[in-house]
Amino acid sequence: MALIEVRKLVKQFDGRTVLSNIDLDLEEGEIKVIMGPSGCGKSTLLRCLNRLIEPTSGRVYFRGEEVTLPQTDVRALRQRIGFVFQQFALYRHLNVLENVTLGLRRLRRMPVKEANEKARYELGRMSMLTHEDKYPGQLSGGQKQRVAIARALAMDPAVLFFDEPTSALDPLMSQEIIGVIRQLRRDNVTMLCVTHDLHLAQGISERAIFLDEGVVHAEDSIERLFGDHEDPRIREFFRQGNGPR
Amino acid sequence: MSGIIPFLQDVLAYWPQILDGLLNTLLLTAIITVTGFAGGIGVFYLSLSRSREVRRFTEAYISFFIGTPLIVLLFLMYYGLPQWGLRLSPLAVAVIGFTMNVSAYNARYLTSAYKGLDPSELEAARAQGFTTAQVFILIILPQVLRLSVPALTNQAILNLKDSSVAFLIQYTEFFAQAQELAARNFQFFKAYVLAALVYLAMVSLIVLAARMLERRLVLPGA
Repeated sequence: MALIEVRKLVKQFDGRTVLSNIDLDLEEGEIKVIMGPSGCGKSTLLRCLNRLIEPTSGRVYFRGEEVTLPQTDVRALRQRIGFVFQQFALYRHLNVLENVTLGLRRLRRMPVKEANEKARYELGRMSMLTHEDKYPGQLSGGQKQRVAIARALAMDPAVLFFDEPTSALDPLMSQEIIGVIRQLRRDNVTMLCVTHDLHLAQGISERAIFLDEGVVHAEDSIERLFGDHEDPRIREFFRQGNGPR
Repeated sequence: MSGIIPFLQDVLAYWPQILDGLLNTLLLTAIITVTGFAGGIGVFYLSLSRSREVRRFTEAYISFFIGTPLIVLLFLMYYGLPQWGLRLSPLAVAVIGFTMNVSAYNARYLTSAYKGLDPSELEAARAQGFTTAQVFILIILPQVLRLSVPALTNQAILNLKDSSVAFLIQYTEFFAQAQELAARNFQFFKAYVLAALVYLAMVSLIVLAARMLERRLVLPGA
């Protein structure tokens, strides 16, 4: 059984179809990359899976349990999905340690000492332990993203979602995040990453799904997608300066 | 115009009443600053409601109280309501009137600060599994309060100064007693200068406290 199964997922905004009959399986321990141009529906897809956005129709199963039902405990679902955002989305009034412990203390009701220990373990994994007293405004983009990943991991999620994790970073910092995601892959963390950064896709996965105008055009090896693909939309996307570096 | 010594002697003789007025001013200011602060947070919370009707009502509330002179509201309650059989004490009228008015202003300050927040932080909190109330208490409120400190402390200063309006509904606060002192010895200029200096001293204390608070609340790297 796949960790996440998506069946015929549709999302429309004011009659405009943003996602059209999406089918997707994500196995435990797998990393899946969804690529496509800006506005193709990638981020909307991620948000439909944890119901930050309500799908118009279709079904999503999480470990075999349908989570698109009206009676689904959406907050419990979200706590099983770690979400890493393009703009880092750290709480700027909290320091690094507090950013990571907030969910543990308030959602998991973990005592402060235990929450701090857990947070420090995850910050250590992200090489951010020495920055635990700093505020987001004192960190570089790459450091912020590592804290955001530590914050997500601290909740022991079943899967990590990455929404364009390198889009707001320069190439050096992007490389830093690619290294972190590779390390998580070695640790068998299940991940779903949407990006239009081919360098990131190539760095973390062998395969990718190509999404365009809300439709899955192909799921193939990245080498084949980068090559002279038979689908003209895919060829066009990779010709627009998006090719591998 | 007579000298300063006789005037000060009059002030000393009338000191118990002046002190009484001063305490009434401080009492009213303290109450309306606290109730207006709490009311402002309540109105601000409602302004973020998912219900369009609630948001519209809140906006109408804010616009009404910002657009209506406070004195009209106070007179309406103090002189108008008894005609309907409801008689309230001057302090009660002042507290209710000021609270409704100050809440509207404070809600407006908080709403302006809210517009400066990064929406991705709020989305991240929802994605983590926080409830709407938790997002408000843990993420939104600490940030908008921090950003609104200058506006909120200015409002506290305005509360102190505007509390003098309450003497028009028979609330014997400091300015009413200064007025009384002037009427007793006809030293209007000196009495009002004294009143102005006392207000200035109290405002200066609030300003000093506000600056200390702002320095404490500044975020590193912000």
